[in-house]
Amino acid sequence: MQQADGQGGLIKHVFMAPAFLVVLIVTLFPLIYALVVSFQSMRLVPPLPPRFVGVDNYVDILSSARFWGSMYTTSTIVFISVAFQYVLGFALAIALHHNVPGARLYRVTFLLPMFLAPVCVALIARMIFHPYLGPVNDALGGMGFGYVPFLTEPNLAIATLIVIEVWQWTPFVTLLMLAGLQSLPEEVFEAAKVDDIPAWRRFRDITVPMLLPLSVAVIFIRLIEGFKVIDTVFVLTGGGPGTATETLTLFAYNEGFKKFNLGYTSALSFTFLILVIVVGTLYLAAAQRVIRRYA
Amino acid sequence: MAARHPAAGASTRSADSAAGIRMVGAGWKRIGFVAAAFWFLISIFPLYFVAVTAFKPPLAVSQGPTYIPFIDFQPTLQAFRDAVSGLRGDFIGPVVSSVLVSLTATALSVFLGTMAAYALVRFEFRVKLLAGIVFAVISIGGFTVLSEVYDWRVPHALATVMVAALAASILANRLPLPGPVMGNQDITFWFVSQRIFPPIIAAFALFLLYAEMGKAGFKMLDSYFGLVLAYTAFGLPFSVWLMRDFLETVPVEVEEAALVDDIGRFRIFFQIVLPMAKPGLVATSMIVLAFIWNEFLFALLLTSGKWQTLPILIAGQNSSRGDEWWAISVAALIAIVPMVIVAGILGRLMRSGLLAGSVK
Repeated sequence: MQQADGQGGLIKHVFMAPAFLVVLIVTLFPLIYALVVSFQSMRLVPPLPPRFVGVDNYVDILSSARFWGSMYTTSTIVFISVAFQYVLGFALAIALHHNVPGARLYRVTFLLPMFLAPVCVALIARMIFHPYLGPVNDALGGMGFGYVPFLTEPNLAIATLIVIEVWQWTPFVTLLMLAGLQSLPEEVFEAAKVDDIPAWRRFRDITVPMLLPLSVAVIFIRLIEGFKVIDTVFVLTGGGPGTATETLTLFAYNEGFKKFNLGYTSALSFTFLILVIVVGTLYLAAAQRVIRRYA
Repeated sequence: MAARHPAAGASTRSADSAAGIRMVGAGWKRIGFVAAAFWFLISIFPLYFVAVTAFKPPLAVSQGPTYIPFIDFQPTLQAFRDAVSGLRGDFIGPVVSSVLVSLTATALSVFLGTMAAYALVRFEFRVKLLAGIVFAVISIGGFTVLSEVYDWRVPHALATVMVAALAASILANRLPLPGPVMGNQDITFWFVSQRIFPPIIAAFALFLLYAEMGKAGFKMLDSYFGLVLAYTAFGLPFSVWLMRDFLETVPVEVEEAALVDDIGRFRIFFQIVLPMAKPGLVATSMIVLAFIWNEFLFALLLTSGKWQTLPILIAGQNSSRGDEWWAISVAALIAIVPMVIVAGILGRLMRSGLLAGSVK
């Protein structure tokens, strides 16, 4: 219910201003500062006074193999894990929606992983995937396989990170898709049932198209959030072996806090922002086309 | 409930339609049950493992994995005693600062977010795009000039530029400028879009800014105030977005009656709106609290000692404890248990259908 502008007058700004100012001060103004710094050469150790260097920092980044490596790592983890999260999460939402035995118990348990601190999850994963003392290798050993060095072999370390991401964030997809399923009109399904349309086709021709916009949003959120990952990697592998599992955020952190190369780090985070915007825009454009065709 | 025996085809279908409520065959139901049970085990096992490991004596860890207390190993409370006594590093400090910081920041961010959400639901805002552009140009350009040409200190330059840009854009918004006008939807999106930024930008920039403020005499790095301010902003996008959805379901009639009786907006907000939005407030607080409690990056950059939070302590366990899994598990459990409670509360709210409304 909206009221005419005049009635709100000053009071509406009183309600809005605190939140607006906090976001402005804490998020936007540092951003302006960082944007300016990203065009400077600025170091804390050894201390160099800021000097304007134009786009040098950005050129350095784009020609750095380590940047492209971290980009490759991040994209691999994000795209593969989001694909699994979506498929598994949707499937589980359907199971819960149809009240499989024990659904009440599952609802809370399924939510749990996404409420845990990623640092905790990574710490637990370190134990579980430990080469000698961990349960996974214990089980593999019991089945007659040898010990697998999950965290020290580059590809396995990335695979482990993907497993952790899937474990932790599938609940998010389940939660939202379940809410979506519950908001679908029951009548359509009743009608389809009367017409003897089999379950698989009801799913493909009714459920999926109707949930397409929600799916697009859910995947979008997971992609954006996935690109930010640092804590899990920080604890699980620290980016290693070498820089094999270094994600973009971790790379930026290492540059800023191990080398204290502030101009470079600022430029790196803006490159990262541009990247996220490009990926996001491309994804949304592609999703729009899919929605238009099927829904 | 559909037939339990593995009957297929016609019999399943008739049994199913006899039940009348659910519309899926027993075959599918069985697959669903197996998948859900499987995922249940996968979800719960790591939590079970960390919970039992916290009670293990050292030998039960170093001689290979053990699983069942009293059979595989004799449980002990030694790890908890060590943690509380502070024998191996300070546990209590980070727990206290985590609790203080996350409770304050959650309360602030939900409160300010609810106020903004209320304004977004009840009033109409019109912001001219051009006024926004004026703001961006003055702030970026002004800051560059002040800090580069006139060599002002960063905090002073930013503060000056902010006041100037804000005043200019408010003024510009009153002028009859051409161009698109942004409404409440766009303002909501502006809040939510803060989440699209990779947080390393904000965290890193905030670190630079706090460091500069420290040089100018305000201690912001590793301080309660600095951390609470950062987390309040961190939580605001969620609070504004979620509370807007909840407040939209609060009926406007009561408020209108109160307005007729000439009761002020603030009294209406505190005495009518907030009590009616209570389930929404609880749900939003839980979600924001979970995000702040678990947050790692800001704490990593903005704290260094006194105000280190629990996630930082936990991330450090790995290098400082190595294979002392019992101690690591105790630390992890301390961080996990409050979130189990939060998830339980949200699970109950979800069952009551509250969260279903927030998906549109």
